[in-house]
Amino acid sequence: MPKTKANGLTFHYQQAGDGPDVVLIHGLTGDLSIWFLSRTLAALAENFRATAYDLRGHGYSDAPETGYTSLDHARDLLALLDVLKIRRARLVGHSFGAVVAAHAAVIAPERVEALILSDPYFPSLRHLEDLSRWGHWQNFRKEAEEAGVQLSVDTWYDLTTFFDQVLHLDDQRMLAFRRAVGLPGLNRVLRLAQTTCGADSKLEAGLDANSIAQISVPCLALYGEHSPFLSTADHLVSNLPHCRGRRIPGAQHRAPEEAAGAFVAAVREFLEDLEPVAQRDTCS
Amino acid sequence: MILDDLRAIFRDGLNVDPIEPITPETRFFADLGLASIDAVVLGEELQKHYGRKLPFSEMLAELGEREERDMTIGELVAFLQQNL
Repeated sequence: MPKTKANGLTFHYQQAGDGPDVVLIHGLTGDLSIWFLSRTLAALAENFRATAYDLRGHGYSDAPETGYTSLDHARDLLALLDVLKIRRARLVGHSFGAVVAAHAAVIAPERVEALILSDPYFPSLRHLEDLSRWGHWQNFRKEAEEAGVQLSVDTWYDLTTFFDQVLHLDDQRMLAFRRAVGLPGLNRVLRLAQTTCGADSKLEAGLDANSIAQISVPCLALYGEHSPFLSTADHLVSNLPHCRGRRIPGAQHRAPEEAAGAFVAAVREFLEDLEPVAQRDTCS
Repeated sequence: MILDDLRAIFRDGLNVDPIEPITPETRFFADLGLASIDAVVLGEELQKHYGRKLPFSEMLAELGEREERDMTIGELVAFLQQNL
């Protein structure tokens, strides 16, 4: 499997196709397989060089103990672009992956051609959302509770609490927990639980409301029709200079899984409509 | 035999060597405790082992469309029989 060193860590990545670069960034506790299962990588490979990678702590990439803020991940991404000789890329991030993409656009705007933000929730925009309405979290909570893991209504975003309790389950409860929530690859979740990922991903790490509002590359705020984060979606469209909004019918927070066909179509349409990048490159 | 090949690839490529031997009924996720990322890596290992391109992306995309996101080793054997 293709692996490379970047920012002092080993990253697992996958590449397909030829053309302008698109980089796909998965969310917390996920991995790059989402881009295979949703057919995103194969579809984009028809017109682009599509690159997907596992974030630190995830999939087949290294899992250092610390360094899991969106800023740390954005630095990993930029180092990875260097190693793979990608000068500028269109970034597609899902959930926390979109926060990482946005952070990269803030610290290195010259490397980012355009952004697709799929259902992110930003720590600095937390005040916009009432998360007790998030059905997905409520269901997960119920299933976890039946298996002995207690999560409060408002710690939905608090991976620390979640990880901490899962780490302390005895064998029998661990088995029950795995069955109940159907977490595949539980060992990888446990590996991540021993890092600062839970706490770090709650931090703004410099990505405050002002810096988000200054992201001026073409941007698509792509949210599930029933996403718990629609106030964030509206905020992005109103506050970023070149941000369009689009909703995926029927989807909640996980459009790439819940409505893969519509998700991929929306991503392609936005990326393929962008002004060709080659011309601008030769001028600079 | 493909099933023996698979057992070796699971053991050497994915570090999976279950106490219960892998049979055609064994499920990739529910029984072996693997995740979809392991299926991506398995696809590469299989291509390396057989020295040819396999339509593994297509198989993963098809898996993504299933209600029960799982596949049996028997299905994997059938996939290989069709494509080798």
